[in-house]
Amino acid sequence: MAEGPGDGAEPPVLEMRDVGRCFASRDTGDAVQWVIRHLSFKVAAGEFVTIIGPSGAGKSTLLNLIAQTDLPSAGEILLRGTCIAAPGRRRLNPGVDRQIGYVTQDDNLLPWRSMLDNVLFPLEVQGRLDEEGRRRAATLVDAVGLTGFERHYPHELSGGMRKRCALIRTLVYDPPIILMDEPFGALDAQTRSQLQADLLRLWSMAGKTILFVTHDVAEAIALADRILILSRSPTAIAADCPVPIPRPRDLQNIYAVDGFAALHDTIRRQIQ
Amino acid sequence: MTSPATAGRAAAASARRRRQLLLGRLALAAALLLGWDLLFRYLGPVYMAPPLAVLVRLAELAGNGQLLADLSVTLQACIAGFALGTAGGAALPLLLRLSPRLTRAVEPYVMASMGVPVFTLVPLLILWFGIDLLPKIIITAVMVFYIVFVGTFAGLRAIDGRLVAMARLVGASGTRVAREIYWNGILPYLFASLKLALPRALSATIVAEFLVADAGLGFYIENSRQQADTVGVFAGIVMVVALVLGADALLKLWERRALRWRPVDRQLNPVS
Repeated sequence: MAEGPGDGAEPPVLEMRDVGRCFASRDTGDAVQWVIRHLSFKVAAGEFVTIIGPSGAGKSTLLNLIAQTDLPSAGEILLRGTCIAAPGRRRLNPGVDRQIGYVTQDDNLLPWRSMLDNVLFPLEVQGRLDEEGRRRAATLVDAVGLTGFERHYPHELSGGMRKRCALIRTLVYDPPIILMDEPFGALDAQTRSQLQADLLRLWSMAGKTILFVTHDVAEAIALADRILILSRSPTAIAADCPVPIPRPRDLQNIYAVDGFAALHDTIRRQIQ
Repeated sequence: MTSPATAGRAAAASARRRRQLLLGRLALAAALLLGWDLLFRYLGPVYMAPPLAVLVRLAELAGNGQLLADLSVTLQACIAGFALGTAGGAALPLLLRLSPRLTRAVEPYVMASMGVPVFTLVPLLILWFGIDLLPKIIITAVMVFYIVFVGTFAGLRAIDGRLVAMARLVGASGTRVAREIYWNGILPYLFASLKLALPRALSATIVAEFLVADAGLGFYIENSRQQADTVGVFAGIVMVVALVLGADALLKLWERRALRWRPVDRQLNPVS
């Protein structure tokens, strides 16, 4: 297991220690089937980590464990050195007291709320819908270019706009860690690179820790400080690969940057 | 965004469509009245009432106050039964939702009780509750209950679990999830049920009044029939139809306000 940059005096913001998740297998009777096993990694505060792996590698399961919409069957998950999830606990704490935001594959916007009301929803349920919250929301709406669409309902927005709305709905309540599960998967290339640029800009402004799952190698390199490559099921970390491309990055011409092609090749081979 | 010229053209087209619709409806009304009158000429005054005589009768009833008196008696029973049936039909699935096992236990009994022909219970209801308002309210409520129950149940099944997961993750409490996601998710189904239940509720009240009443529209119709007063029967029917149309218009207005966010409603009502 490679040592992450989270080692040092301060504990890493997030640590997975020998985490496993198993389900009762339908094929083998009562024997269990491990989807994730012996998975460990650390993430330092402010890091942008992408997670890439072969399809069916339990990537979403991994994010569900971190977001605590699911509990591990083995090992433990630590947030700033404190154990937040371990087997045997019975109560789920989804979002770990608003410490962890989760941008899922589907935008999951509430169809009966306007775009702005969707963005304000987390503040509303947290009882933080004050002047300051509204200002934050307005700033974010502006930052992703959604100004003028505040009163539109989700079905009146394009796919890219809905993704932006889902993204800033998570940013608005300021969780220090944000998980993203192939958030730009279903978009066309143009919209996608626009959103990647938006995301990097927001990340550099807000100083968040981001774990970003993707199956697109180029995307994984373009965004990340570090790439975690997952192995086939049962999933563990196959490689921990730093991305030595300086920031700020020009995403349009990321292919031309020194070392990109070599890195792309290495990773491509690893996940095949 | 549309230019002012396009918007103007669209408004003109929509005004034209509205005019055509109105003309079409008037033409249909004239054809129906003509058909009615022809039928009267063919069947004779014992079996059929001419439209004009019905109109005169309605004016008479309105003039001497009997229309208002009968209307208010019928409406009392109908509104009370409708409200009671709606509340029960919407609340029971929500309660059952708390326990899937209870749901499985109860469901066949609900289906079985649906098979009971309601009007055969009328003699018993008279024995139990007398001939006042109560039996009529109960019959109407039972009629409405099943429609709303089935609709609400379907609405609950259709609720997107991912929206619930999202809401929990950003910090929504159980009651908040119920209020935001369950309520808004059920609403379209509830309106569909109410639209279906409305004319049936009124019919149920009217038929109950045939059997047990000394006032009300149903009583008036049945009384006229027994006295071979065909004009009276038809006047009563016209009043019931008018009542259904009025109630449906009110429901539509409420629905349009509550379900503004639905894309389908706009596409289906291009004229409005």
